[in-house]
Order: sequence, then C-alpha cells, then structure tokens
Amino acid sequence: MKEKGNKRREWVKTAAIIFLAVMLVLTFFSNTIMNYSLPEVATQYVMSDTITARIRGTGTVESGDPYNVEIKESRKVASVAVKVGDEVQKGDVLLYLDGMESDELKAAQDALEEKEKLLQDARDQYNAALLNPDISAEDIQAANGNISAAAYRQQITAAQKNIQPLEDQKKELEKQIADIDAQLTYETDLDAAAGTSVTAAESQLETTRSALEGANAAFQAAKANLDAANRELQQQTVSGNDTGAAKEKVAACQAAYTAAEANQNSAQTAYNNAVNTYNSAVANQKAREGSQTSSNLSKQKALLQVELYSVQKNLDDATKALEELVSLVTDKQSLDVLQMQIALAQRDVDEAREEVDTLLEKAQGTTVTADISGTVTAVNVTAGNTTSPGNPLVVLQPEGKGYTMSFTVTNDQARKLAVGDRADLVNAWRYDDVEVTLASKRPDPNSPGQNTLLTFDVTGLVTPGQSLSITVGQQSGNYDLVVPNSAIREDSNGKFILIVESRSTPIGTRYIATRVDVQVLASDDTKSAVSGGLYGYEYVITTATKPVDAGQQVRLTNN
Amino acid sequence: MKKRILGICGGISFGIFLIIMFVIRGLGNDLPSQEMAKRWSKEGGTAQVSCFFSVNSGITQEQLQEFEHSVDGKLAEASVTLESENPSARLWVDAYSAEGTLSVSSDRASIQADAIGIGGDFFLFHPMTLLSGSYFSGNDLMQDYCLLDKDAAWQLFGSSDVAGMMVSINGIPHMVSGVVERPEGRLAENAGLDKTMVYVSYQTLQELGEHSGINHYEIVMPDPVTGFAVNMIRESFGTDPQEVEIVENTSRYSLVSRVKILMQFGIRSMNGKAIIYPYWENMARGYEDILALLTFFELFFLLFALAVALGLFIRWWRHKGWTVGGKIKALGGWIQLRMDRLRAGRREKKSEGFQGKKTIKATKPIKGKTYKSKTHKSKKSLDHRQEEEI
Repeated sequence: MKEKGNKRREWVKTAAIIFLAVMLVLTFFSNTIMNYSLPEVATQYVMSDTITARIRGTGTVESGDPYNVEIKESRKVASVAVKVGDEVQKGDVLLYLDGMESDELKAAQDALEEKEKLLQDARDQYNAALLNPDISAEDIQAANGNISAAAYRQQITAAQKNIQPLEDQKKELEKQIADIDAQLTYETDLDAAAGTSVTAAESQLETTRSALEGANAAFQAAKANLDAANRELQQQTVSGNDTGAAKEKVAACQAAYTAAEANQNSAQTAYNNAVNTYNSAVANQKAREGSQTSSNLSKQKALLQVELYSVQKNLDDATKALEELVSLVTDKQSLDVLQMQIALAQRDVDEAREEVDTLLEKAQGTTVTADISGTVTAVNVTAGNTTSPGNPLVVLQPEGKGYTMSFTVTNDQARKLAVGDRADLVNAWRYDDVEVTLASKRPDPNSPGQNTLLTFDVTGLVTPGQSLSITVGQQSGNYDLVVPNSAIREDSNGKFILIVESRSTPIGTRYIATRVDVQVLASDDTKSAVSGGLYGYEYVITTATKPVDAGQQVRLTNN
Repeated sequence: MKKRILGICGGISFGIFLIIMFVIRGLGNDLPSQEMAKRWSKEGGTAQVSCFFSVNSGITQEQLQEFEHSVDGKLAEASVTLESENPSARLWVDAYSAEGTLSVSSDRASIQADAIGIGGDFFLFHPMTLLSGSYFSGNDLMQDYCLLDKDAAWQLFGSSDVAGMMVSINGIPHMVSGVVERPEGRLAENAGLDKTMVYVSYQTLQELGEHSGINHYEIVMPDPVTGFAVNMIRESFGTDPQEVEIVENTSRYSLVSRVKILMQFGIRSMNGKAIIYPYWENMARGYEDILALLTFFELFFLLFALAVALGLFIRWWRHKGWTVGGKIKALGGWIQLRMDRLRAGRREKKSEGFQGKKTIKATKPIKGKTYKSKTHKSKKSLDHRQEEEI
C-alpha cells in the first residue's frame, strides 16, 4: 500500500516537471509563435504629395481640312500616279483612267435608244388605231390618207373567212385520230393477251415436264424392284425353300409397278397437251406479229397528227391576224391618248438626248489631276478599280493646314479638362516633335448627355490614319495626407484606412491595426488624397496576408 | 463493462461531432467572396445576394443602373436610412461582371487570356491577395485599368511588381493597376482558375474583347427583415427563372441550407438553365457539397451520442433503487426537521438573550471556545434584535 503511494507521488512529480518545462518553452517562444500566427501586413507612410487626375485616350490622326479629289463618272482606273505621303502641286496627275466611255454615258445612250424605240412604237400604234371600223371614215382619212375605212373592214372580213375552213379541217382530223386511237387500244389488248397466253403455256409446259420426269423415274424404280422380287422367287423355288414370303413381295412390287406405269402414262398425256397448247399460243403470237396492224395504225396516227399541227398553226395565224385587226378597234378618244403618248415619248427622247450631250461635254479625260497643292493623305482606288461619282479617289492635306484627332470620354472625365490643355503622348519616345492640344469639347452625337467628344489639334511628324495614345490632365494639386489606393477600404460606415499603432509590452512591441475613417478628396492612378483623423506620419496598411480587422494585432513585413 | 464501453463510444462520438462542427465553421468562413456581408457590416443586418444570368438573358448596364436607382427608394420605404457620421458611407454596394477573352500584349510578349470585365465595386466582393498595386473600381474616373494575375504578369513582364506599367489590349494602352495571387488547388483549378486571368473594366471587355454580355450581378445591402434583400432582387431580375439564378450568399452555409442540400441528394446536379457559373460560384458550390457531406456525418455522430446518452439514462433510471415519491417524502421530512430545529434555536436564543444581560458581566472568559461561543451568541442575538427593529 505504501509502495503504491510512492509510485503515485513519482508520477505526479514527473508530470509537474514536464508541465513546467513546456510552460517555460512556451513562455520563451510565446512572442515568436504569436507573431507567426498574426497576419503579415505591408505598410506605407501617409505623406504629403501631389495628385494629378489624368485622362487617357486613343484616337486616329485625321486631316484638319481634307480636300477630296473625285470625278462625276464611273470609270476604270488604269493606274495610280501617287501614293500616301507624296507632296503634289496643283495640276499634277493623280490618276490615269482608261479611254472607254463612262458607265453613265453608256447608260444614257442606251436610255436614249430605248426612248426612241418607244416613240416609234407609239407612232406605229397610232397609225394602226386609225384603222378602227368604229372610227369615222373622216377621222381615218384625216389622220392617215393611205388606208381607207372600207379597205380596213374588208381585211377583217377576209380574215374571218380564212378561219372557218381551218376549224372544220381541224375537227375532221381530230375525229380521225380518235378513231385510230380506239383501234390501237383494241389491237394492243390483243397483243398483250397473246403474250400472256404464251407465258402461261410456257409455265404449264415446264410444270408437266417436271411431272413426267418424276413419273418416269418412279416407273423405273418400280420396275427394278419387281425384277429383283422375281429373281428372289426363282432362287427360292430352285433351292426348294419356302416361297410364300417371296411371292408376297412379288405381288406387292407388281402392284407398285402397275401404279407407276399408270402415273407415267397420265403425266405423258398432260405433257403432250401442254406442248400442243404452247405451240398454239406461239403460233397465235407470231401471227399477230406478222400482221403489223398496230404499227400501221401508229404510223397513220403520226401522219394525221402532223397534218393537225399544220392546220392548227394556220388556224392560230389566222386567229392572230384577226385579233390584231380587231385589237386596233378603238374609239376617237383612244386616238387622242395615243397622240399624247407620242408627245410624251418625244419629250423623253429630247431629255435623254440632252443628257447624252451633257455627259459628252463634261466627259473626264484620261487623267485626274490635283486641284490644289498639298500632301496625299489617302488613295482610295487602285489600278483596275472603277470609280464611283461622289466617292473621293484621293484625299489631299492642303498646304499649311494641321491635323486633328478625337475620342470620346465620359462627362465626368471631360469635366477634369479644359480647352487648351496640353496632352502627353504615351510612349512619347517613339515620336518626334509631336504636340497635342485639346481644341474643343462638345457632346458626343452618338451618346449625347453621357459622353463628350474631345478634339485635339496635332502638329508635328504624324500621318493621317496613325493611331495616337495620349494622356491629358488637370493641374496637379498638393495634399497633406496622401495614401496609396490599395490602403483605402470601405464598409457600411464609409471609407477608412487601417494604420498600425505600436504598443510596448514587457515581452516586446506589439502592432495593432487601428481604423481611421477618411474621406477621399482626390485620386489618381496610384494614390488618393484623404482627410480624416491623421497627423501625417502614420503607417498605413496597404496589403495583408489575411483579412485584418480593426483592433487586431498584426506583424510587419521584414522588408 | 458493456455500459462503460457504450459510454466511451458515446463520448468519442460527441467529440467527433464537436470537431466536425468546428471544421464546418472554419470552412464556412473560408471563401472571401461569400463573406462580403460580414465585411460590410460587423453589426449584421445585411445580406449579400448574387444573380447569375444565362447567356441569352440580355441584361444590360442600363437595366442595372435603373435597378440601382430604385434601391434607395425601396430601402427608404422600409425605413432603412444611413446612420453613419462618415459622409462617404453608403448603405449598399454592388458589382456586375462578364466573362470573356482578351488579347493582351506588352513590349515583351503577347497572350490570349480569360478576362472578367467588371463594373461597380467588384473587388470589394472578391478581395484577392495583392502582390503589388491596388484594385480598381467600375466607379473610377478612368476605365482603362487592368489587374493581372501572377501568371499573366509573369508572361507579360517576367515580374509581379508591375503596377503602373502599360499593356496593350487590342492596340489600346491600358495601365496595370496591380497583380493578384491566383487561388490554387483542386477546387480552384476545376472551378475555372486553371488559365491566365485578367480583370478589366466591363467597358474594355465590351469594346475590345469577346464576351456574351453581363453574366453576374452582386449586391450587399441592409436586410431589415429576413429575405427582404433577396426578395427585392428576385422581383427585379427573377421574372424568368430560366434566365437567372439568385443566391443569398449570407445564409448559404447555415445548418438549414446544408440540410436542404442534403435533401436534394440526387437532383442537385440537374440543371435546365443555360447559366455558366463564374469560378467563385463554382468554388462556393464545391464548398456546399463538402459541407453537406460533413453535415451528414455531424448529424450522424450527434444522434449516435444522444442515443447512447438516452440509453444510459434509461438504464440508470430503471436500476436507480429509489422512487420519486420516497425522495419527495424524505425531502419533506428533512425540511420539517430543519424548520423544527430553527424554531427551537430561536426559542433558545430568546431565552438566552434574556438571561445573558444578567450573566455577561459576572462571567469571565476562561477558554477561547467558551468565549467565542458566547461572543458569537451575543452577536447573533444582537443581529436578531436589529432584525426585529427593522
């Protein structure tokens, strides 16, 4: 019992020593352990600095006052004499055109021909209308002295007389063709029946032949059985044995032989009948083929159809002639209309002719020249292209005129800028002596009320079409409290920053994140000016390895 | 012996339940994109709601602006007003984003990267670890910033310290506002973070990249009564359930939500909507699955421990060797005894107090025990008198 108590005391002693040792180690390294469990933060000084809000944008350099060279015709370009960047003087050749007439002139000439044709048609129609039997002889005579009203009416009567016999002839021919069609149908049916009979007879012949062959084979087999039975009977008789069984077998074989023979005779008769039927059907078919009745009827029908076609054509011609004569039947009022149509057609012809004359007068030569001195900024055609009226072929930058560029910004961005602000080029080292100045601000027509179109004057060594990226900004402002943008945080209580406050303790210095509410006064790309409860020398937390709450202990980065 | 083993099993089961409970609590707070409401207001009473739109939903910036203008009015109707003294304080913040691709180039290299075009305060909702620089916002003056992930920065510049440098997106210069760490791991990579990622403004993605319109919208706002925020969003955007999915992030990992996910076992994977989730939602859904599984085990171990405890209690109750009536009687007797003793004590004190006035002076304190006893008694009688006077 006493030994057990001693063991227990030993155990308690050991546990106490281990506990104290662990506590000692933890006490020594507590600060280190705690530090490594804390979020690590990067900080920067709150300092006094300048804030410059700059607007960036990209635009395309354009000619400030471009001069478009264009022609009024559609012509094929033979060759281009200039390229972008060339300086040209007034009168210099820019393009060569081929010598063909322009598409517009060709179209005008075609239109003139068409209208002249319409005029002629109107005149012919008028002349024909004068033959109308309802029109008084006086009107006809007054309009056209060449054809009288009586002659016109005689023509109509003659045309009507031509039609009647042709119609009778057509009816007769159609009747004959119908009769031949009926005969042809009958003959065709007979031919088909003969063909069918031959096919059926062939089939029957084949069937009976097969049956006969089968019966012959059965007969031969029965005969062989009978002979064998007879031989067996003879052997039994010669040897003196009992012949009862052999005799019974002979009798059975004899009965089978008799039946096979009867069957063979019946099959032979059926086969012979089938041969006769087949021969008869074939003979009938050959007889029909030899008669050629259908062929003759078909030929006869074809001849009649040719004759009918000829008659029909004559009838159509006669009918058309009559209709043409009748179609000319109009009244006096129609004559007036036709006269008016002639007048209108004449006017159209005059206008078309005038158009052709004008185009001929204004026809471009084979060259296009510069109207002013300047620099070629764009060539919109190449050799082989066809020009189109109104589209500039070549764009010239007049001598002494500058370039412009423009882009759209939001209204908030535009408020930061003033006309006259000078812009800097992004990657300015790429350019030489290029100056960009804000020339105007006006509402963007594509999104009025939301965006503003900025236009800049560009001077220096640039070419139209070149893309330039610029930054332009307001004057810098000095602020006492400037922090990096990454230091600004926000929650439902507004924007704030976390500063680091140090507190000395017996086991070292502790760093505590402390919240300071701020207001952002101005910002640029990297930093913001703020106002709030700051003195200006605090460390502000910019980033952390873990989320940091106000009041939380943190550790600073080593660097 | 059997009882003891059962008791140990129940204890271990309860211990495992506690461990799982703490693991769930830790995992539930692991995704910063789901914790915006907690970051926005420490006092609570706010809700974070996310909307995910289908490719063909046709949501535009104008529609979102119209909704934003209506939020303040609806909050005012619910008597929710701004109480902070900080003039820059806001009641709510929101963000929208679209996914697409962009071609980004520097003087050194050119890359084709996945891009997220952002609007509003996107990085308030999705704080990533900044390696350099700062975030940008859809409300900034300029919208030509881009935030590169570490991989993009490495490919374009060969360094992560590139904040303030310029890159070209389809020929238009953009400023690198910062570089962020890209989350790694099986979940993150399968969620969509396995490729180079660039964050630009929605305007940039719209004008210079390829995208299919605004895909996601998020808002954190006061939630005066449970469901106020999500119902408001649903009324505004959820008219066609096939075109939008609305998620309340604030309570998505609560016990009720986890049990609901368990109840959806087998049908949760079915989807009839043409919605492509962004990487943060994919990760959040992955966490939902993990937490649902843990919840199953949590409930299992809890129920086992409770069943064991109940069984042991019943067994003890049956073999306790006493009855409730007997105990009540014993208690009544004990109370009666105490009352009698008290009454006797009082009577004795009264009689002693009356005689004590005569004997105190004549008696000398010979032994400490006697002295103490008498002093004690006299003090008690004094107290008693004072009580009677009162």
